[in-house]
Formats: sequence, structure tokens, C-alpha cells
Amino acid sequence: MGAERLVRPADGVIRLEGVTKVYGTVDNPVRALSGVTLRLPAGTFTAVMGPSGSGKSTLLSCAAGLETPTDGRVFIDGVALAGSSETALTKLRRQRVGFVFQQFNLLPTLTVLQNVTLPLRLAGRRVDRAKCVEVLTAVGLGDRLDHRPAELSGGQQQRVAIARALATSPKVIFADEPTGALDSRSAREVLGLLRHAVAAMGQTVVMVTHDPLAAAAAGTVLLLSDGRIVDRLTNASAEQIAERMTHLGAVDMPGVR
Amino acid sequence: MFGLTIGSLRYRAGAYAASFVTLFLGAIILMTFAALLDTRTAGLDEATDLALIIMPSVVGGWGLLIVTFAVTSTLTMMVRQRATEMALLKSVGATPVQLGRLVVGEAAAVAVLAVALAVVPAVFTSGWLVSILKDSGQVAGDVPARFGPIALGVGFGVTLLAATLAAGFAARRTVRIRAGEALLAASVERPGLGWGRGIAGTLLLIGALNCAILTLAVLDPTKPESMAVAGEGAILSSIGLALLAPALLRGVLAVLGAPLRRLAGASGYLTAHNLRERAREMSGALAPIILFTGMATGTLYLQAIENQVVAGGATYAEADIIQTLNLVVVGMIAVFTAVLVVNTLIASTTHRRREFGQQRLAGSTPPQVLRMVGLESAIIAATAVLFGSVASVLTIVPYSLFKTDEVLPDVSIGIYLGVVGVAVLLTFGASLGSARRAIRVPAVRAAVAV
Repeated sequence: MGAERLVRPADGVIRLEGVTKVYGTVDNPVRALSGVTLRLPAGTFTAVMGPSGSGKSTLLSCAAGLETPTDGRVFIDGVALAGSSETALTKLRRQRVGFVFQQFNLLPTLTVLQNVTLPLRLAGRRVDRAKCVEVLTAVGLGDRLDHRPAELSGGQQQRVAIARALATSPKVIFADEPTGALDSRSAREVLGLLRHAVAAMGQTVVMVTHDPLAAAAAGTVLLLSDGRIVDRLTNASAEQIAERMTHLGAVDMPGVR
Repeated sequence: MFGLTIGSLRYRAGAYAASFVTLFLGAIILMTFAALLDTRTAGLDEATDLALIIMPSVVGGWGLLIVTFAVTSTLTMMVRQRATEMALLKSVGATPVQLGRLVVGEAAAVAVLAVALAVVPAVFTSGWLVSILKDSGQVAGDVPARFGPIALGVGFGVTLLAATLAAGFAARRTVRIRAGEALLAASVERPGLGWGRGIAGTLLLIGALNCAILTLAVLDPTKPESMAVAGEGAILSSIGLALLAPALLRGVLAVLGAPLRRLAGASGYLTAHNLRERAREMSGALAPIILFTGMATGTLYLQAIENQVVAGGATYAEADIIQTLNLVVVGMIAVFTAVLVVNTLIASTTHRRREFGQQRLAGSTPPQVLRMVGLESAIIAATAVLFGSVASVLTIVPYSLFKTDEVLPDVSIGIYLGVVGVAVLLTFGASLGSARRAIRVPAVRAAVAV
């Protein structure tokens, strides 16, 4: 990385300064993010909400080092992402970031336990099997270690993904619509696990969602519209969040996609 | 149904590229040789007449076989990658027969286009073939080359037949699966080889051994049949081993798996895992390389031994024609298997874009992904070359003993190294090239792409 590390608690685990992301061609640019500045302190659970096309997934991709912003700067754990190669970004991500996606993204040919140990192997770290089993047991899958993802329900697969994210002890976990493909009961379980990781283990979690019920699990809700942060709610209920979304002109309603 | 066929063809022109190239090259070769029958007129001397009949018959027969095999392979792969689409069509009410007709119709349309475009180049190559045959004295110098109805008839007939047969084979399996099962998209393979494959492979190997024994014990060294029998041995053993490829790959992995995991880190761990879990998919690439190595090495060395013996004196009338045919058939096999190897590797690597994306999200750097694909290629190439060599040895050793009383022929090892070099180059070039393209997409986008 070669970047200087000046981590002060006030800097937050994630810091964005004037981040802009433009997709598309020169003739037809699509502005997904316009000058977003934010700071997320360690041990917090933040939900990013907004209507379709508001830039919430782009915000997550840029903050997590999955995509490079067109303009502005991103710091993860005090390390600037600017100008890093894909290889350097990958190394930074696997040291400091865990991911949970709507489509789980487990490797189909690996068993549950192998999926959880994979990031450690790829990073060349010692595979602490006992710890991985412990994490899997904590998410309720201690008896499914040798199953393939295809043999599990959606909710179980997402719990494997959470275990995989937790096993590397990352500074921050990014979750992109983690409940988007789940029934309401599985969704509650997954949100409960994320909350537990924040409350009991001091984990930092950033979750993108369109569902006010899911967002209500977070301590802070950032509302995004047209690539800008337009509102910030603290400890809001699902009803309050839904109401604020309606004022934004959001067409996304709970359960309607 | 016809409208669906044309619409589907337009939409996926790229998917048909490999089948098109195979049919196009096949049509050129077939028409080039079939034109010899057009060239044949009354009042030719006996040797010329013989050459003008034998060559197109042999190349035509082989051509049908090789082109059908090659197109079956390219089409099967294409149909398999469209499994989801097929399942969707079934779920909205398409019957298996309709789906079969869709695939056969698409293949036939591609075949007609391929032959039509092959006519002009074939006119030139057929003239060129006649002039080569004249230069080598196999055809009398005053015979004018002609390109006529027989060439066109064989070109369209054989190519269309090959394409529709192949499409029939390719569609059969996909179409038989029930809609519900197909939509489940089983991403994990069933283990095991499959009875049919195992039995067919074993029978072919027994056939190859039989050829070797016949060569050694029964045949007369002064007759040309001996070479045909020995050559058949190379073909049978190559196809037999190619059918057994998944089992062979697992066998090699049983030996190499542990050192791979220990020495090559996370990439080696994933390589060993992928090859074991996806032995059948991976042997899609393994089989054509075995065929290429086995048949090319076998036939080229038989011819080399033959030439050596001829130089020593004993010969027979058809020696020149046989040599030309051997080289043409080996050339055909080489070209088509090369297309197959490249197509299989590019298709399967492109198919794995999502897997690569998911791996990168789990922390794989782009070089780690490339290293994994490179290791896979190395093992596939090594396994294929090993068993291709075994297949050719089954032919070369008996024939050499038979003709020269030596276990190994006193012929340059250069031919073998050349064949192996081409096999290795094709494997690495195709898989690493397409893997590089596949990982240029940002990981998040690759992981959601279907």
C-alpha cells in the first residue's frame, strides 16, 4: 500500500471525502455519486437507504474498495485507497473488510467450512479451523460444516456468508441487501446476527438496503437520493424510516420491488 | 419455430462462432477433395483414376466422422450453456421435440451459411490440390482441375448431415431433463464416470490392443493393410482414453493433489479442488488434447517408419497416395481438435466469470486467479500429453517391431516435441487469454453476472 496510516478514533473506520462516481461514456455520463462526504466510527451499525438508482450500491462499492471513485478520496482504517492497483486493493480488502451480498456469493463446489476458511487461505494466513467452526456454530450452522451451499436454504447460505465475513476479524463488514433474497423469518435472523456482531463484538457494519424494516436494525440510517446524502436518522423505527422515504419520493415500499 | 430459430441465431451469433468455424473448415476440406471426382473424366490412366477415387472417398468418410464429432462437441457445449434458457422455454410450454427442432434448425442454418461461404475458397484449394498431386506424379500432368456438382453436393450434403446429427446428439441430453430439474441448475457435478463412458472407453482400448496384436502376429509386412490396422490402433486408443478422461484426471490428481496444495498455496488448493469437483467439465478440454496428441503422434510416426522402410527398398503401388492421405487426415484431425481445445477452454473459462468474481470478493487477487487457471491448464495439458503419448505408443511400438524389429523407430523425436508443443501452447493460450479477459471486469459486477 505504501500509504501513511494516521488512525485517530475521530477519523472513523470508513471515511469518504467528496466521493464522486460517474459511469457511462463521455457523451452520456451517469452520475451515481456526487461529492459524498461521510465518516463512520468503529462499532457502529449504519444502514444506507434510498430509492432505486439513488447510488446506494455504488456508495458501498466505493467505500469498500471494490470500485475506484472518479473523484474524491476513500480511507479504510486510515489507509487511502487512491491509486492502488486491483491487487493492492484486494490485499487491503481481505485484511480489513468482510462482505455479505444479496446473492450470498459462496463458491458452489466448496463446503460450508471450506467457504469460511477460503479468505484466510487466500490471504496466506494461518487457518484457525477451531475458530472457524466456532463462528459457524455461533451462526447456528455447527452441524452443517460439510454441506455444499446448494444443500442449504437461502437463510442458511446467508449465515455462512456472515460467518465467512466474521472469520477474518475485519475492521468493517459491508452488507449489500443481505436480506433481499430471504423470507421475513430468515431476514430477521440475519439482521439479528449483524446486530449481535456490532453489540457484542464491537464490529462495524455498513448495510445497503431498500427495506425500512431491515434499516431499523441499524443505529444510524443515511438516506441517499440522486447520489447525495439527504438525511440522517438515529435509532429510527421502521415506520419513521418508511415515512421519510415516502417524503423523498421513493417508490420503493417495503415488500414492493 | 422458424422465427424463434432466426431470432435466437441473431442474438447469439458469438456462441455459434466455434460451430461455424468447424463447419466452414470442414466444408472447405470436403469440397477440395470431392472436386477430385469432378476432375475425373473418361480416358484417364489407371494410376490417376485410382488416386482421384481413393482420396475423396477416404477424406470424405473421415471428414463426416471428424466434423460430426467436432460439431457435436461445440454444439453440446453451447446447448449446455443455454440450459437455463432451455429450462425457461420448457416452463412456458415448449415440448422436448420443439426444443430439439430449435437446436437442429439453428445448426442447419449455420451449416448452410458455412458451406455457402466455403465454396469460393474451396474452388482455389481444389485447384491447388490437383497441382500438388501433379507435381508429386500421382495425377497425370495434362488433367485439368474441375470444381463441379459433386464437390457442391458432397460439401452441402456431408456438412449438413454432420451438423444435424451433431445437433441431435447435443440436444438429446439437455432436452430430456425435466423442466423443474433444469431450473434447479445443479452447479455441483455428480461424481463417477458414467457407465456408458466407462464401457465404451474400455471396449475401444481393447480394440486398440487387438490392432496392436494383429499388427505383430498376423499381418503380412509387404501389404499396405498393416499400416491401416496399426493406424486404426492409434485412433481407437486415443478415443478410448479420451472417453475415460474424467477418471484419468482424478487418477492424476490423486498423485499430484497433495504436493499441489502444499507447494502452490491458496491457488494450488483451489486448483486441486476445482479439478476434482469438476473433473467431468474439465475433461471437456482434456479429451480433445488426448485425441490430438495421440492421433497426430501415432499417424505421423507410422508414416515416418513407413518412409524409412520405403527408402530401404520394399514398397507398394499405393504408397504415395497413402502418405498424402495420412498427412491430410492428420492435418484435419489437428485443425479440428485445435478448434475444439480452444473453444472448450474459452467457453468454460468465460462460463466461470461469476466464479472468478466470487473468488475475488472472497479475497483472491487477480494474479491468484490467473495462477489457479494456469495450474489447472498445466495439469490438464500434462495429463492429456501423458495419455495421448500412451495411446500413440500402443501403435508405434508394434508397428516399429513389425517393420524394423526395433522397439522404437529410429526417427527424430522432433515430431513428438512439435505435437506436444502445439498441445501445450493451445491449452495455455486459450485458458489464460480468456481468464485475463474475464477478470478485467470489476469483481462485484462479475459476481452478479449470470
